[in-house]
Amino acid sequence: MLRFFDLERIDAKKRDVVERNKDFEEIYEVFKPVKGSEQSERCIQCGDPYCHNGCPLHNLIPHWLKATANNDLEFAFDLSNETSPFPEVMGRICPHDRLCEGACTLNDGHGAITIGSVETFVNEEGFKKGLKPKFSQNKIGKKVAIIGAGPAGLSAATFLLREGVDVEIFDKQNRAGGLLTYGIPGFKLDKHVVARRVKLLEEAGAVFHQNVEIGRDKTFDELSKDFDAVFVGVGAVAGRKSGLTGEDASNAYVAMEFLVDIQKKLFDEPREKNIEVKEKSVVVIGGGDTAMDCVRTSLREKAKSVKCLYRRDAHNMPGSRKEYINAKEEGVDFEFYVSPKSLVTNDKGEVIAVEMVKTKLGEADSSGRQRVEEIPGSEYRVEADVVIFALGFDNVNYPFFASNGIETDKWGGVLVDENYQTTQPGIYAGGDCHRGADLVVTAARDGRDAAKAMVKMLSK
Amino acid sequence: MRDLFTSFKDNCGFGLLASIDNTPSHRNLEDAITSLSRMMHRGAVAADGKTGDGSGLLLSIPKKFFAKSAKKENITLPDVYAVAMVFSKNEKDFDVIKEVCENNDLKCIYTREVPVNQDALGEQALASLPTIKQVFVAPNSIMGAKRFDALVYLSRKEIEAKIPEDRNFYIPSFSTSVVSYKGLVMPTHIKEFYQDLRNKSFEISFCLFHQRFSTNTLPEWRLAQPFRAIAHNGEINSVTANRFNVAAKMEALKSDVFSDEEMKRLVPIIQSQMSDSASLDNFFEFLRINGMDFFKAARSILPAPWQNAPHMDAKLRAFYEYASTCFEPWDGPAAVSMTDGRYIGCVLDRNGLRPSKYIITTDNRLLISSEYGVLETPEDEILERGRLQSGEMMGVDLKYGKVLKNSDINDYLKNMDPYDKWLNDNMIYLQEHMDDPFSDVSIPEKTEMEARQRYFNITLEVIEQVFEPMVKEGKEATASMGDDSPLAAFSTKQRNFTDFFKQKFAQVTNPPIDPIREKVVMSLNTGFGEIRNILTDDAEHAKRLKTVSPILSLEKLELLKAFGNEKDPKYESGYKARTYETTFGSDLRMSLATLIEEIISDVKNEGIRTVILDDRALNAKTKVMPMLMVVGRLNQALLEAGERHLVSIIAATGEVYDSHMAACMLGFGVAGIYPHMLYQTVAMIEHRKDKDVNLAPILKKVRKSINAGLLKIMSKMGIATVSSYRNSKLFDVIGLSEEIVTECFSGAYGLLSGLGYEDIEERITKAHSDAYATETQNRIFPLNIGGFYKYLSGQEFHDYSPATVHAIHKLSKSGKKEDFAHLKELVDGRDKKFIRDFFALKSDKEAISVDKVEPLSEIFKRFSTAAMSLGSISPEAHECLAEAMNTIGGKSNSGEGGEDEVRFGTIKNSKIKQIASGRFGVTPEYLVSAEELQIKVAQGAKPGEGGQLPGHKVSPLIARLRHTMPGVTLISPPPHHDIYSIEDLAQLIFDLKQINPKAKIAVKLVSTAGVGTIAAGVAKAYADKIIISGADGGTGAAPIGSIKFAGNPWELGLIEAHNALKANNLRGQVEVETDGGLKTGLDVVKAAIFGAESYAFGTGALTVVGCKILRICHLNRCSVGIATQEEKLREHYEGTVERVINYFTLLAEDVREILASLGYSSLEEIIGKNDLLEVIDDAFAKKFSFENLLYKLDGDNTCQVESNEPYDKNEYEQEILAELMPAIKNPNDPIVLEKKISNLNRSFGTRISGEIAKYYGDKGLPEGTICLKLKGTTGQSLGAFLSPGVSIQVNGAGNDYIGKGMSGGRIIITSQKSGADFSLGGNTCLYGATGGKLYINGQVGERFGVRNSGAIAIVEGTGDHPCEYMTGGAVVILGKTGVNFGAGMTGGVAFVYDVEHEFVENINQELVEARRIDTEDTDIERYYLKKLLKDYYNETKSAQAKKILDNFRVEIRNFWVVRPKDMKGPLKIEEGE
Repeated sequence: MLRFFDLERIDAKKRDVVERNKDFEEIYEVFKPVKGSEQSERCIQCGDPYCHNGCPLHNLIPHWLKATANNDLEFAFDLSNETSPFPEVMGRICPHDRLCEGACTLNDGHGAITIGSVETFVNEEGFKKGLKPKFSQNKIGKKVAIIGAGPAGLSAATFLLREGVDVEIFDKQNRAGGLLTYGIPGFKLDKHVVARRVKLLEEAGAVFHQNVEIGRDKTFDELSKDFDAVFVGVGAVAGRKSGLTGEDASNAYVAMEFLVDIQKKLFDEPREKNIEVKEKSVVVIGGGDTAMDCVRTSLREKAKSVKCLYRRDAHNMPGSRKEYINAKEEGVDFEFYVSPKSLVTNDKGEVIAVEMVKTKLGEADSSGRQRVEEIPGSEYRVEADVVIFALGFDNVNYPFFASNGIETDKWGGVLVDENYQTTQPGIYAGGDCHRGADLVVTAARDGRDAAKAMVKMLSK
Repeated sequence: MRDLFTSFKDNCGFGLLASIDNTPSHRNLEDAITSLSRMMHRGAVAADGKTGDGSGLLLSIPKKFFAKSAKKENITLPDVYAVAMVFSKNEKDFDVIKEVCENNDLKCIYTREVPVNQDALGEQALASLPTIKQVFVAPNSIMGAKRFDALVYLSRKEIEAKIPEDRNFYIPSFSTSVVSYKGLVMPTHIKEFYQDLRNKSFEISFCLFHQRFSTNTLPEWRLAQPFRAIAHNGEINSVTANRFNVAAKMEALKSDVFSDEEMKRLVPIIQSQMSDSASLDNFFEFLRINGMDFFKAARSILPAPWQNAPHMDAKLRAFYEYASTCFEPWDGPAAVSMTDGRYIGCVLDRNGLRPSKYIITTDNRLLISSEYGVLETPEDEILERGRLQSGEMMGVDLKYGKVLKNSDINDYLKNMDPYDKWLNDNMIYLQEHMDDPFSDVSIPEKTEMEARQRYFNITLEVIEQVFEPMVKEGKEATASMGDDSPLAAFSTKQRNFTDFFKQKFAQVTNPPIDPIREKVVMSLNTGFGEIRNILTDDAEHAKRLKTVSPILSLEKLELLKAFGNEKDPKYESGYKARTYETTFGSDLRMSLATLIEEIISDVKNEGIRTVILDDRALNAKTKVMPMLMVVGRLNQALLEAGERHLVSIIAATGEVYDSHMAACMLGFGVAGIYPHMLYQTVAMIEHRKDKDVNLAPILKKVRKSINAGLLKIMSKMGIATVSSYRNSKLFDVIGLSEEIVTECFSGAYGLLSGLGYEDIEERITKAHSDAYATETQNRIFPLNIGGFYKYLSGQEFHDYSPATVHAIHKLSKSGKKEDFAHLKELVDGRDKKFIRDFFALKSDKEAISVDKVEPLSEIFKRFSTAAMSLGSISPEAHECLAEAMNTIGGKSNSGEGGEDEVRFGTIKNSKIKQIASGRFGVTPEYLVSAEELQIKVAQGAKPGEGGQLPGHKVSPLIARLRHTMPGVTLISPPPHHDIYSIEDLAQLIFDLKQINPKAKIAVKLVSTAGVGTIAAGVAKAYADKIIISGADGGTGAAPIGSIKFAGNPWELGLIEAHNALKANNLRGQVEVETDGGLKTGLDVVKAAIFGAESYAFGTGALTVVGCKILRICHLNRCSVGIATQEEKLREHYEGTVERVINYFTLLAEDVREILASLGYSSLEEIIGKNDLLEVIDDAFAKKFSFENLLYKLDGDNTCQVESNEPYDKNEYEQEILAELMPAIKNPNDPIVLEKKISNLNRSFGTRISGEIAKYYGDKGLPEGTICLKLKGTTGQSLGAFLSPGVSIQVNGAGNDYIGKGMSGGRIIITSQKSGADFSLGGNTCLYGATGGKLYINGQVGERFGVRNSGAIAIVEGTGDHPCEYMTGGAVVILGKTGVNFGAGMTGGVAFVYDVEHEFVENINQELVEARRIDTEDTDIERYYLKKLLKDYYNETKSAQAKKILDNFRVEIRNFWVVRPKDMKGPLKIEEGE
């Protein structure tokens, strides 16, 4: 260990930009074993493991790094699966530079440990070697219904099954995975990776009911009657609107509409919108990870040009830095310090341009972040055939909440106590539907901790 | 705790004087008194200038004088009589004496009032002065002399038993051969006080004498020495164990002298409430009176180290091994003089830790004393001048007028009985009965095993941090940055029962041992089987099952069972074994009582002799009792039942998997440990890696690590053998209820009485249900992760969590109050994690405005950074802290390891300079550049241990500052080799006050029960400041076990020290400082209220400059450029002076605000004012008894004096300095002075050197500027810290510590009586010297050239451990050396002249090798040696040197050159080797 002194941080290798733009395959290659263990050896094994502390799942990062460095793959695999429901997914899509790697003590000039890439490596290599996460062989004779097969739901299912609780999952989409399947493009997360986890859960006894929407195809009452507990993990997928004039134009979309639609196209599933960007000028408004997903998807869908507009600068972008860099490499045109004023439509109600205004950073607000101020008289126009708003997500207010005594806060988030129990006893919730749009990793934690609370309650 | 405020430890000057042919004379008495008074500096004097800590004489009975004085009363004394010397304040006591004597067939002839002159006493002594009378007693009927002696002894014991409570009643002596004259009087006044001693007819033929230095100021008449048979200088570290063992042995006693009924009347043998020396005296006297041979008794309880001495005579070794079946060493530094009237003698402890020097004079007298020159005997009257070497004894047979040297005594002992045959026939070595050790560990099935691992708290962390280093390196892991987790009692997480126990360690009054470099004295040799009658000798006694370590393999455990199994052919009834499961369902208290009852009954009724306590029956349904609790309780119960001597206790336990846990078991009485979870876990891990792994070598390595750890823990307390450590109970028990401590751990110190059986049971129940919970079985990784050593989210609390570290970084960068507020939230709001958290502030005053509070500058004065050396931290960090502290008016601490002289006198100069055991870089200039000189006796991270700076960290800069060569590993020994006792510390303080009279001398101690006693002693040794360091602090690299389990939180030590100083009326003499995890204003204010005037910051200060608590300081890979010397990493250092100032400003502001809220305007007003605190109102807090922390004594709460002035003003040297001033002012005017000197003139040359260094630094004066020709025997520390340009030529002899820290100049000692047969110097010469030359035309004592890093020295013979830890310089020895040559020697060179070809056996081969120098390759060495010898001859005219030089071509063949193995190639003299 402590090889940080003589070994540089090396990120996982990326596919050539020309090649990777042609398809939706993952752009990162998985570490080769030598690299994986070498990069792990850089770890200090420090007394205050900041990575572990910075990880919402409190993954045992130093411990599996050490195991990896020691070439003890099985041990590393076990440790990484102990706390995380799908480490190979998190290794790919977590904003590591904001969490574990950002907190890594070496991230102050030495170069943080490539925690994400090692995590992916450990699990991919483990799967290759036939390793599998373990589930309880002894059933405790209780069953839980899970609404939503997204990150929170899958995580809850994982940890319930590990404790010998039966689970059935009800999900309105055609395939399980929620956001992991439909929201995150394949170049970041190969869809087989998600499918593999779903299969593992099925092998462990999980029953997936796809294309079932609660309140439409099945009543909530049935669930509460048939199951010992219910976990609600329905996410927050309502795309946030801009409130600009013209935003209802026919070729203006919110990010999730766009991403899901394209993914369904790739799956060859029926689509709602049939969005096509081929040979079109695409403008994406926003600077987060979802915005990056949109621009990069557009490129792969062969858009004529792809522009990303953001009201602050690259440094202030809320998403993961590496996603920005990837997008830039792939040919996205970024414009910073600009803000949309309105959409310009033609007589068919189609967007033809976005009216923009330049901005600057003003005084800091109470959180220390500088406010954005518009610069008067700096308006200009950006031509656009398609406009995509990636401005965040809101909660969906499902009718079954209110009718079953599941209370929500003013933003529509489901209220839960410290055990993830909603205001309705026996009904638990977690993930975005509780906390509002957040990271996959926090949803995974909610699912895990809610599962543990449910087990405790069920085994009383 | 309150008893600790007034408890004491003592050390001293001592000796004996005897007419070898037993001729009485008054001169003997006068000379003894003179000798004693010339060692006054080894004792202490009270403020009244008259009351000493006690001195005394044990004299042969002055028959002539007693006859004369009896005659005055018209009484004729019979030929045979005994005299009782009696201290009493109650006339009725004498009735008791009379009654008891008469009952014992003795008659009291008459009682004589001993005339005393009260004017000779100080106020304090006078206040407690008893009536002193002598009772003369004779046999009432015809009886033999032996029987008379026995009845006298029996009577004394009975009298004592009848007047047990009265502390004023005491019988200093009651004997037919000796009488004691002792008391609270200074040696100079003893003759004035006891008028008898002035009478010319008071003639004696021999005497023991003693001058006491007690750590407290509440000396008592009865505690003065000599006792009834001995005078002891030193400390018995194992005394708790020895006392326990004596009580156990009593049960088997049959005496030829006393009937069984009489024997019952004799107990207890050990008088309670007395000192360690008194206990030793009690036991020795008991053995003698029961007819045990004088020398056999002495060597049985104070044996030479025989276990690892292959070159010792086999028959002598057999004697010692035989003796070890009955006796364990009374272990610790000891020079003991003893007499029984027929013989008189002196014995030195196995490690030679006290000085003991003798002369035999032409008038046929032997004088042994701590120092040479106490009698100023003219040279031509000295026949022999020598000293006792480690583990040696010498004596006089007074009857036949013969001196018995060590070898005479050994020859006598080894031939007393056929010990070797007895051993051959009866002693069984387990090893011989084993074919295949460690072939089996029988691991339970996986699920059960995993549950057990969880139950016994074997976490992933334990495996990684504790087990892995054992498996990989065969040793305990090193960590750093201290312990920031709560006490076991306060923890809300699963903790081990042994966590409640904190190891004791030696500081000041006794030295720790270096178990690696001085391994030769250490031993884990263990025996099983009953202890037989110690008063008789026969082959039966040799019946023991033996092994070399108490840590057993499964095979050895099974063997013990086999020897104890009636159905086994090996069976012997003396080993009859039974296994007891320690499981319980519920009700821990009852279950424990029942189990103990069962065992006791089996021992009594069924003859069980090997009790095996086994917790392997643990399962999902049954819990097990804490093994340590069972062991402790059983040990006590067996003693109470009178069965302890019969039984060996074995623990087959999962609760032992590190050395601390093993030490706890041994300390409370087990003989053997089978650590099943350790072996099984290691086996499981190794099996997973490789199914066919051969476990034996791995498990042996694991056992070796535990063994090494045990040796380290024992040596921390200065104990060398496990037999003396067993039952020693050397732990503080923190947070267990008084009930548990009394019932199970009596003898250990209980602090913060708290959790009872029910609480412990509740914790066990929870741990058990968690361990076996179904949830855990479904984990992918089944073990718990840990969090005890390193922070893990949701696990054990750590005060330096990532959030706290971030908060400190942020506030130090911003300097903003709101950022500091965040830190306060985290720290002040942590809720009941540390002792101070259980106290809330309350005030008797209205809050005042902050403007009314003293300014920041006043508060800054009280802040300093804790010692962190340049070496442990980078120059950038070191200088940054110095500059910042100087800027605000605080102080930075250099740490040990020197400081670049370009920093002296600038803003980067550390105001505090540290003096630690390695003495690295301690030069005159370094010492004079300081405002405060801090003697580090112990450090929080690893009290009682030394340290090591690995060669790869020794950069050219560090090497230059430490006066060594780059790349050479530097070892700091565990003890200061010039502080083995309190009078030694007084001497070092005296040295430092001479070199730099302006500096305050501070002594750094670590919190532990008893630190108050030490603190009082340190104050009496004239320190100006005492630092009570918390074991919870400590930034340095240390073994993890030491970080976690040695020493106590600072709160406990501070309150104890503060109150002990007050109780002894010493608080006003010294300043008190504390450190240990202080972070916020509240911490500082609470520390003030508990009694500290100043505050030091270690880890906190490092965090301010960017430390992230990575805990890798020891690896040189600190990523933030602090604890590293790597250039590349140092570039990452981002600390700034401003950040440090920001932090301390915010901290001081916080202090001011709290003061304002309390209504006080300065810290001074609240120091020691502990009514400003109250225990928080909280259910958990109520479990503990905190009142001792709120205990308040009247008196000063802060230091009231500018300086704690030594009694000795050193006028002698002051006057000489005045004469030398012209030469110092103008070095072109050299000066030669001739003076007389005596052993009272200590540290000669040091004051002069300090003055020179002040003006000229370490460059000093040109050679030959000052020449001082002295005649006589010098005091200790001759030429300490000597500056270049000063030459001291002594015609006479020197004492201990010659040339200590010398930096240049010359010291030459010659004498009329010189050469290899005469000792002209004492122990520990050249300790830490960096330059200069020392020539002694004679022998010197132990540890010559210890830690020398530059001086050139030539002597004609040395004691044991020569050239220990040497890192540079050259030593030539033209005669014999003792054992353990070159231990820890990493640099420098030694030439040893060895005609007898014995030398090679004496080398410690670990690091050095000896080569011949008569080859072509060693050309340089040869001529270098010749050059040295020529110079030596010119200065000393040594006959030996001349002989060698005259025949150099031949004699060169008799020389060895000794160098570290790492040093290859020819000697590099120019490069400083």
